[in-house]
Amino acid sequence: MSPVLRILSRRLGISVIVLIGVSMLIFAIARVIPGDPARIALGPNATDDQVAAIRAEMHLDEPIVAQYGYFVADVLRGDLGESLYTNRRVTTDIAEFLPATLELVIVAGFMMVAIGLPLGILAARHRGRWPDHVVRVLTLLTVSAPSFVWAVILMLLFSFYLPLFPVAGRLNDSYDIARTTGFLTVDTLLAGNFAAFIDALHHLILPAIALALSGIGQAARLTRANMVETYDKPYIEMAQAFGFFPSRIARRYAFKPSLIPSLTIIGLDFAAMLGNAFLVEAVFAWPGLSRYGVAVILRKDLNAIMGTVLVIALTFLVVNIIVDLLIAFLNPRIRHSTRATS
Amino acid sequence: MSNLLDIRDLKLAFKGLSGLSEVLHGIDLSIAAGERVALVGESGSGKSVTARIILGLLQETPNARVSGEVEFDGRDITAMRPRDRARLRGTEMSMIFQDPTSSLNPTFTIACQFAEVMRRRDPRMKQAECDARATEMLTEVSIPDPERVLNAYPFQLSGGMNQRVMIAMALVNNPKLLLADEPGTALDVSVQAQTLRLMHDLVEMHHTAVLFISHNLGVVREFADRVYVIYRGRIVEEGPTDAIFHAPGHAYTRALMDAVPRITGAGLPEVPEVSDDFLAPMVRHDGGAA
Amino acid sequence: MIRALRIISSNPLSLTGLVLVLLILAAALFAPLIAPFPTHNGSVVDFAFANRPPSTRNWMGTDLVGRDIFSRILYAYRISLGLGVVVLIIAAPVGTVVGLMAGYLGGWIEAVLMRLVDVFLSIPPLVLAIAVLGVLEPTLANAMIAVTVMWWPWYARLVYSIARSEREEGYVLAAEVIGASTAHITIREILPNCLPAIITKMTLDMGFVIIIASSLSFLGLGVQPPTPDLGSMVAEGARYLPDSWWMTVFPGLAILLAVFGFNLFGDGLREILGVDE
Repeated sequence: MSPVLRILSRRLGISVIVLIGVSMLIFAIARVIPGDPARIALGPNATDDQVAAIRAEMHLDEPIVAQYGYFVADVLRGDLGESLYTNRRVTTDIAEFLPATLELVIVAGFMMVAIGLPLGILAARHRGRWPDHVVRVLTLLTVSAPSFVWAVILMLLFSFYLPLFPVAGRLNDSYDIARTTGFLTVDTLLAGNFAAFIDALHHLILPAIALALSGIGQAARLTRANMVETYDKPYIEMAQAFGFFPSRIARRYAFKPSLIPSLTIIGLDFAAMLGNAFLVEAVFAWPGLSRYGVAVILRKDLNAIMGTVLVIALTFLVVNIIVDLLIAFLNPRIRHSTRATS
Repeated sequence: MSNLLDIRDLKLAFKGLSGLSEVLHGIDLSIAAGERVALVGESGSGKSVTARIILGLLQETPNARVSGEVEFDGRDITAMRPRDRARLRGTEMSMIFQDPTSSLNPTFTIACQFAEVMRRRDPRMKQAECDARATEMLTEVSIPDPERVLNAYPFQLSGGMNQRVMIAMALVNNPKLLLADEPGTALDVSVQAQTLRLMHDLVEMHHTAVLFISHNLGVVREFADRVYVIYRGRIVEEGPTDAIFHAPGHAYTRALMDAVPRITGAGLPEVPEVSDDFLAPMVRHDGGAA
Repeated sequence: MIRALRIISSNPLSLTGLVLVLLILAAALFAPLIAPFPTHNGSVVDFAFANRPPSTRNWMGTDLVGRDIFSRILYAYRISLGLGVVVLIIAAPVGTVVGLMAGYLGGWIEAVLMRLVDVFLSIPPLVLAIAVLGVLEPTLANAMIAVTVMWWPWYARLVYSIARSEREEGYVLAAEVIGASTAHITIREILPNCLPAIITKMTLDMGFVIIIASSLSFLGLGVQPPTPDLGSMVAEGARYLPDSWWMTVFPGLAILLAVFGFNLFGDGLREILGVDE
């Protein structure tokens, strides 16, 4: 078996264990809720008979292990139950709201890598000199405020004082675009409506920056730290001894070996954006999973809460698997190993 | 006879928290074209920084203060712009390091690293041409299956193999001067001896001058034409290898020599104790090139 | 200690961090003495001065019901810092014990504990806290529970990685050879090697706990009104942008300032204690 395949299967194995754990955790959280879930589901005016019927339907009178079994069986069938808030299947709700969140997170993740890594390289190359200090203060500032503070500040500056970007939403109402993928940047292009595509992008930029800022800071700090360590390695001195220019040494010799240890954390940061998206979406009235999530949480809508958390955990695991594969692909030590490495 | 390298009154100081601390106190050293010269001293004596000044690396460190003249091939290196100094490295002069495996970049194949080095001289070289030339060089350093080595990453090769790869890489652009900083100290004694013989034959064939830096007088005996002994930033003795070994004139050289038999490969020489005699004036043997 | 102070003060950034941290600690401790309107900490209304921009009377303006924003920020710092301290005082020891056990004992204990940690780490922290708060009532105490639940695994992982490498060190093997007990080895031999990393992480985490706690209350899942909290102040004011900008900008900057201070100081601490990033 090739090393990359072996890593993939190992990773998938761990992910299955973790997913089982996550499902238990979510199930446990749902069961510690004070009060009778059946009563909560029906509201205060339900009769005792109605409550008893629902209790039977929800298997609430059976042992806890059996209840967990029913829960897992339902989840495996792709059935997350019905939301008490929207009266629709939770899967339908998630399918509607998840793409908007993913679109935001993916663009923000792209910004994190495209801006954070070069900043880190710049700081590492000039370590101990002024560009390093400037980057250090700037990145420390960006990681020092929650994304909703950045969202509010960016909105104030670039939507109100300088009306460059729209204040809220994903797309101007005047465009009628068929929702094929749910990713509006993709859907507008599929519809061939270029003006709408630009509009969707225009709406996306400010929320994405707000979401990306702390990730950019973290990616830059991490890249710098790992590169500074790499700069002490003998092969960097050898590259200098062979007369390669500093910019080339930074990009080819110091950055690439430093990228591998950075990637795991960058993957985690990327996944953390799924949580922070909740905050940015609230500020920019972005119709994503967060508005749904907060709404169902405030209404104690158990099925919807469990479904939302499960989907986010699953997305998180997928991101981690992709990152692990990327590391395996980038690191020749793993790609060409004949023995098992972890 | 004009020298390839002429160092006159070289001084180096580092700016630290407690002011300037001088590391080299005025060194004179010269190497003729094709000559093999050894610079021997214990760790911290200033031999490695000397090599890094010749390469022009230390001049670019913010807290290093370098003064004196370093004339290479008729040009004063200390007066050059950093960019011009960088142009000399890897083409006119190159260097090999103590630990071959960690000195080769772990994320690129040997072929890729060879090509990078060759393109220092000729940026338009195609990969196939580079590979052909690299194969030639690897054969010269007695590597039996160059193709396999070219496609390998450094961590897939043995230390001795990487040492040969590094020697081949350092010589591929036909430099006029090779700086060797404790080559092979990280390797087994037998492997080290083998690669040193190989290096000796190669530089003789290519007529490359070598500055061989070592803490071990025994190792340089076979290799060098001439020896400089350095102690605490000063040259204490200089002369043809035979002259130094037959009639060591300086107390420190004698102490180093007494330490030789006890060294096994990677061990540092145990110079018994610091003696006032070590600070005695320099001894110069006749017959040296300088 | 003197050496540490010298290093801190030789670096202007770390020194700024220390000063900021001390200032904010003082602001929180002495809020009742410093605040121009100490009663504005609760449900007071003063409609005569409602919705006023910054002035000499109200340095940071007033909110919709006329409460002084500067006074409320000082009181909000008490809540944020108090929450941070409680969370870290519980999360760090719990995570440390788990990490030590997994890292030193190995075997099936290691497998079970670290998979458990993986489970917690595979849900984005904020989402986990939101889920916990989703089923509990949104109160200050429950917010502390939620943040603690999401925080301890990070300490477990940190301590685990150190303990695992220390396990192979000569001094640990030597202690094993002379028959030292497991408790002795983990507490007396391995734990001291983890402390610099734990202390640095706790300093930096003070900032991150403030971020998470304010995020929860921003979503309406944390501290409830009328108790002042930086996150809910930003959320409340955001509805009146751009006109009443001071209602959001000052609480937002207050978060930034506090977290920035802990980050700068933590960075300096990392250098002094020689902890890797």
